[in-house]
Amino acid sequence: MATNTESVDLVGDEAATNLARAALFAALVGAFAYVSFPFPVSPAPVTLQVLGVFLAGIFLGPVWGGAALVLYLTAGALGAPVFAGGTAGFGELVGGTAGYLWSYPIAAALVGAIVHRGGDLRGLDAVSVPVLVGAMAVGTVVVYAMGVAGLYLVLELTPAEAFVQGAAVFLPAEAAKIAAAVGIVRSDAIAAA
Amino acid sequence: MTLSYAPGDSLAHRLDPRSKLLVQVGFAAAAFAHTTPRGLAALTVLAAGCLRLSGGGPRDLWAYRVALPFLLVAPVVAGATLGDPWFRVDRAADTALASYRVLLVLVVAAAYVRSTPVRDSRAAIQHAVPGRPGQLLAAGVALVFRFLPLLKRDLLTARDAMRARLGDELPVRDRMRIVAVAGIDRAFGRADRLGTALSARCFAWNPTLPRLAFGRADAVALAVGVGLLAAAVAGAL
Repeated sequence: MATNTESVDLVGDEAATNLARAALFAALVGAFAYVSFPFPVSPAPVTLQVLGVFLAGIFLGPVWGGAALVLYLTAGALGAPVFAGGTAGFGELVGGTAGYLWSYPIAAALVGAIVHRGGDLRGLDAVSVPVLVGAMAVGTVVVYAMGVAGLYLVLELTPAEAFVQGAAVFLPAEAAKIAAAVGIVRSDAIAAA
Repeated sequence: MTLSYAPGDSLAHRLDPRSKLLVQVGFAAAAFAHTTPRGLAALTVLAAGCLRLSGGGPRDLWAYRVALPFLLVAPVVAGATLGDPWFRVDRAADTALASYRVLLVLVVAAAYVRSTPVRDSRAAIQHAVPGRPGQLLAAGVALVFRFLPLLKRDLLTARDAMRARLGDELPVRDRMRIVAVAGIDRAFGRADRLGTALSARCFAWNPTLPRLAFGRADAVALAVGVGLLAAAVAGAL
């Protein structure tokens, strides 16, 4: 073991709590990969991972929400089974679904920035439903645009083919997730936010 | 079964995590620069060798079965055309090669995952990313590994509870809401207790980490990694 002989440099309370929240949210996005819902028009069972990305931005704000998803990607690359279907490893970050994964931190930061109008958190009760829905719609566009771009670059499909395989078949389920997210944000059960 | 660290004494287990990360990056770059039948054949041998050296085998790749449909469908989608000739073999072949290189990168990643414990990865991050961002990243990653199984169980418990109350008959968006609310509520509860506990136990910017040191075998691994990067650059030029 390496031994540090200099004095201990404590992390402040606020940073410690924010780090704990970001790490737990990253783990939650990973855990969402294991809970799938059959969805009528979708070829694959729908998981809640993208919902977790939006909620990270909404509950943690742009800075720590984005940080949570960076933690998620790093942990996955280093072997935590957090990617879709419980996979892990650096390979996923350059694989067929790489575009979706890289879009997560950006989408979370963007959703957080729109909902909180900048870097500082504001009470979620003050946020109107159209703003929430609009922010998540923007997030969906970012996730799928980057996902389709990833398919185009990694698998050498044409843009139209990539759109059919990577976005068109999944979009109806995204509408259900946005509806669920509005219900979650308005839920009284989440007191800690 | 999911892919995870398996204790062992193979060559890959004894390597420094930083040299294993370099090999992975080099391998991915080489696979993207040389997506030809010959290039991929050579890389197939190397990928199988990496997995072998980590004490792994084909059963470790079973974890990636969910990635397969995506990779298998892509060549079919790429080859299909509207109108004559309906299926273009050349386009399908290009995309099949691209799919196959992704599979090879996944194999090498599997070798890293099964041969590297979390604390070594954490130490490698802290060496690689300087300053406080690196320390937050390293600590956060370690926490994700620790809490993932707990949160997974929270969510599955919430879903079982919902089913027991005939929740399966609700619309999808209500089911998603119920499970997610329970998950987030538990996650925030755990996070706040964890934050308090971290502060109470002197959570510091300079924790004691396992010592990382390059050994003789690392020289070979580093040479392989640099060689792969060089091959990638040569292929791209």
